[in-house]
Amino acid sequence: MTRILVPLAILEGESVSAGLTTLLEPMYVTVLGYHVLPEQTPPDQARLQFEAQATAALEDLAAEFGADDGTADYRLVFTHNKKQTFDRIAAEMRSDAYAIPGATGPVDQLLVALTGDVAVDRIVSFVTELVGDRDIGVTLFLATDDEHAGRELLEAAAVTLFDEGLHVRTELAVDEPPLETLVDAAADHDAIVMGERAPSLRSLIFGEETERVAAESVGPVLVVRNTADRDDTADAADQPSPSDVVDDS
Amino acid sequence: MGDTSPSAEGTNIEGESPQVEPTIETDEATITDDAELERTIGLTGGLAIGIGTMIGAGIFVFPGLAAGNAGPAAAASFAIGAVVALLVALPASELATAMPKSGGGYYFISRGLGTLAGAVVGLSLWFGLVFATAFYLVGFGFYAVDTLAELGIAVGNELVIPIAVLFGAGFTVLNVTGTENAAKLQNGIVALLLSILVVFLGYGGLDAAGIVGEPSAPEQFAPFGTLPILTTAALVFTSYLGFAQVATVAGEMKDPGRNLPLAMVGSVLIVGVLYVVTIFVSTSALGSDRLAELGETAMVEVGRHYLGAAGAFAIVFGGLLATMSSANASVLSTSRSIYAVSRDALLPQRASRINLRYGTPHVALGMAGGPILVLTATGQVELLAEVASFLHLIMYGLICVALIALRRNEPEWYDPDFRVPGYPIVPALGALASFALIGFMQPASQLIGLAIMLVTAGWYFYYARDVTLKGKL
Repeated sequence: MTRILVPLAILEGESVSAGLTTLLEPMYVTVLGYHVLPEQTPPDQARLQFEAQATAALEDLAAEFGADDGTADYRLVFTHNKKQTFDRIAAEMRSDAYAIPGATGPVDQLLVALTGDVAVDRIVSFVTELVGDRDIGVTLFLATDDEHAGRELLEAAAVTLFDEGLHVRTELAVDEPPLETLVDAAADHDAIVMGERAPSLRSLIFGEETERVAAESVGPVLVVRNTADRDDTADAADQPSPSDVVDDS
Repeated sequence: MGDTSPSAEGTNIEGESPQVEPTIETDEATITDDAELERTIGLTGGLAIGIGTMIGAGIFVFPGLAAGNAGPAAAASFAIGAVVALLVALPASELATAMPKSGGGYYFISRGLGTLAGAVVGLSLWFGLVFATAFYLVGFGFYAVDTLAELGIAVGNELVIPIAVLFGAGFTVLNVTGTENAAKLQNGIVALLLSILVVFLGYGGLDAAGIVGEPSAPEQFAPFGTLPILTTAALVFTSYLGFAQVATVAGEMKDPGRNLPLAMVGSVLIVGVLYVVTIFVSTSALGSDRLAELGETAMVEVGRHYLGAAGAFAIVFGGLLATMSSANASVLSTSRSIYAVSRDALLPQRASRINLRYGTPHVALGMAGGPILVLTATGQVELLAEVASFLHLIMYGLICVALIALRRNEPEWYDPDFRVPGYPIVPALGALASFALIGFMQPASQLIGLAIMLVTAGWYFYYARDVTLKGKL
């Protein structure tokens, strides 16, 4: 089963909409409750005070995602740096995607962005599993300068999804600003799926593209991780899982 | 460190018991039953904490005072301080890799030597840091007045204390309301300070060696004999009080087995070399009599001697940054040390409450800020520095003793990634040197230090005599 990470600033009351819970039903969900602390506060000091409160909230959320059926769990992390926490947990869990929660009702229309240098195959298979046999329309979106290649890529992806029995439309934007067109297209959709891209100078200056899309489109954004290079580094570091290190004390 | 470790037990007078949970330490996070604590500080961050806390006082406030006491041999006093710090940094590194948890020296001593020693050290460290911060703030006041003077506004030294108290209050408020980018800023300040000093020392070193500039008459190295070298070493030891602060963030450091020893030993070595060279260059530039006359901000004149107005300005600016960064780092450490003892029920647990609005430990920060302001108002530079050194030296000596105690009877959980070279000689020397240095202080400082220790011991017997911490992780 595909694993998806749902990070939530749990003590700030961040929560998930019913639409997202339903959308993610076919996935194994890990709710990552996190709390970011200023540098002057040791994380353990915050844990002592807030652990019970945060755990109670997380248990409820995990139950909504199906913890009782064994398709969801939760983790709670106190940190100074949320990006580092997300990356660590995602690598440790080998999760395929993460969700930036947003507000949405029932999801009937899904916008899938294939723009840029992203792992199209992984995105397509993620969407296949996410939609399953549910009645959710999928719009494949691509913004490019090369109309011909773009059209071919879109068609190929659309055929794969169509063969799996999904309702697919395609939308090609040529020579237009990619981000703005994507946000415009998102207006008639309930959620967005996009691929994670390698950090660029642009993303360092303006923030990650996925974050910006999430901020401008209001609805949830599901980001398919670019695990091809990430898992190599995770293997190299070879983090022992918690259960492996218990007995050496 | 798994579930089989004994847990601390006993209750204090209010019925609170130590809040210690079984944890699993990995290189990336600390994992408790239900939560994980991210490790976010790398080697650079650790070095910046160590160097940033140390570099302020020593280099910018002491040259004048030290040269007045010991002549050019003040350089030897600083070297003695560095050796003592290094002898303690090695055992502290071993203990920190065996117990990579927040709390630092207090944690090692309470677990290695028991609750009484832990309580005395933990509570004394609170006061030790308060004295140190007050000392840094007074130093800051002197530099602030000099800055105004460089800018053409002569205000005189009577404004030193008011400015210091004002900024002390400012740092406390800043820390309560959140200093989101303090660590990044600290890294920048440390880098800037190191560059200022390296340029200055590079030029001054060439001059002192007679390669550039005019030759100056060589001075007798130790005009007052050996004893002043040792008493000066005791005075200036305050300059080395930063390295153990690295251990207090052990719980937040990535790959602590490697980064902790490197950060602690590395920062002592870097700072020690800088101090010794600085004193050497300063005494060669102006002569120790002239330095002594100039007092707390003698370094400014040394800068002017070598590089003119630009040099004076660079040193004034550096001194402001350095004393500020030391003061701020110590306010933070104080609140962490209060947290460490209150977690173990040696102080009421409400002392480490966090407010959800800013996410900061406002009670502990207040318990640091209040006494700091009172002590700053006294303006006694040497006394403040010595009492701070006294209380820290007790802790350093006991860290070495705790290491020996743990090694002689190694508990099952004791598995450090780094082991002290030259055991048992290095920790034994570390303990002896730390306690010996106390013997060379002014009687007034020794009395105040002893009184604080007695009060903390009394508090332990009154408040928390049933709490057991020895050997409990």
